[in-house]
Amino acid sequence: MVSDSPVSVEHLSRSFQTKAGLKKVEAVKDVSFTVESGEILGFLGHNGAGKTTTMKCVLGLLRPTSGRVRLWGLAPGSASVRARMGYVPENPDYDDSFSGLELLRAFGSMRGLSGTDPDWRRLLGRVGLQGWENARLRQFSKGMKQRLSLALALQSQPDLLVMDEPTGGLDPIARKEFRDVILEENARGASILLSSHLLSEVESVVHRVVILNRGKAVRAGTLDQLLGGEETHRITYLEEDNHREMTVPSQDLQESIDMLRGRGFSVIGVDRSWKSLEEVFLAATEVRE
Amino acid sequence: MKAVLIFSIMTLRMLFRRRTPWGILVGVLIALVAIAQVPGFSVENQGRFVLDFGLFGIEIGALVLALGLGANLFPRDREQRTVMPLVAVPLARWQYLLGRFLGAAMVQASALVVSCLGLMAILLLRGIPVPGDLFPATLLIVVEGWFLLATVFFFSFFASPPLNWPLTTILFVLSQMSVRDFVALAPESPGLMRGIRMLLPHADVFHIKDPLAHGFDVSPQFFLLAVFYGLCYTAFMLSLALSVFRSRDLK
Repeated sequence: MVSDSPVSVEHLSRSFQTKAGLKKVEAVKDVSFTVESGEILGFLGHNGAGKTTTMKCVLGLLRPTSGRVRLWGLAPGSASVRARMGYVPENPDYDDSFSGLELLRAFGSMRGLSGTDPDWRRLLGRVGLQGWENARLRQFSKGMKQRLSLALALQSQPDLLVMDEPTGGLDPIARKEFRDVILEENARGASILLSSHLLSEVESVVHRVVILNRGKAVRAGTLDQLLGGEETHRITYLEEDNHREMTVPSQDLQESIDMLRGRGFSVIGVDRSWKSLEEVFLAATEVRE
Repeated sequence: MKAVLIFSIMTLRMLFRRRTPWGILVGVLIALVAIAQVPGFSVENQGRFVLDFGLFGIEIGALVLALGLGANLFPRDREQRTVMPLVAVPLARWQYLLGRFLGAAMVQASALVVSCLGLMAILLLRGIPVPGDLFPATLLIVVEGWFLLATVFFFSFFASPPLNWPLTTILFVLSQMSVRDFVALAPESPGLMRGIRMLLPHADVFHIKDPLAHGFDVSPQFFLLAVFYGLCYTAFMLSLALSVFRSRDLK
């Protein structure tokens, strides 16, 4: 059946030969997921978990060893698909003899866009590069190249944004600005595939999450499914005049309070707490270690 | 095709901002001046000598330019990952390949035309008449240079730059050899050697420096056929390069 989802990945596997050609390394094993229209999918995993390999298969830069990748039902790499996509690579680099404005002009013309210099200046301003329009890229920091890369990805108002560790080289303020842009683009209607190992920032923007560990998808679901199912309570009690805390699953709350009272401790507070995505992530990846 | 043209202009600007083409051009011009200083010839013989060796120097310049401009283009794009955002979004692989090739080919042709003007200036300063076919002879070297550039591109998709230099140079030397020279390499199997020679390019069609130096005319038909042959071989080498590039993963 042909899926019209912006991204549909079915049983994707990809292996590499080591340099000597003696050993085969399976970077991605039987991974399946979709990115639906208007959705932000977070793609989480440790370094080396297979995120970038999967992203490159989605972009058509790598061919799967087995499985299938489709974008709006078409093969990645086809002209009509590329025209609807924006890509923010991990550690982007461009020829450093060009300025940001020159690159936007050239990329815009190559993509057949009708934008003009004022449009591109506004776009550079939107990603925080106002005043740097004509500076050569050799003067740019890593974070500034990241911002330029975002501008190039947003240039065509894409229907799908593929972002591979987009905030890797950014300071906290810039990360916040990036998150705002991601949410604005999503509000405009763009679907977003966002890979990161910075869980706190993924948690604040994504609708669904796929957690990769050693090339396998070990958890997947909406944030509610992943976090809501793990509801816990924190109990604060006094033990010989010392404040102590314990976190228990919500279904064990009454039993735990009774147990503490039975031991003669005074329960002085109970708060509902939610597991963070980080805890879910660590649990999902530790189980499989 | 618009994307290819824009990308080729980007490549042209990028290469002009590097030192490589300028360094090679200066090297060729110094070699031409040095050739003109060789003493011990009458005016007529010196004219032949300067033309013959001058055009040979420009031809070697075409080879060095092809290697200097082309051998590192794709490997550098791959290492610096500049190829990823290009091939992932605005460009198809054939557009990337053709854009890079056209940009480098324009830089190479410009440097060769400047070399030809340098040779012309040296001839005039020495009081040697400039033959009318000097520009067509240079144009054929430009076409040969494009063929060499396409060969360098082909090798660059699977060989490192240090390996690309000897591979292209060997092909350049082999392409200069006549069938008789080639058979002499392995006289025990002349049929095989003739067959191999047939498959390899015939760069001798691009060389009109000898008739030029000796005052013979070159027919327009020969000139046009040589250009056509060179462009066909260039297209063939680029097709081979594209098939290798298409089969490559960008890790």
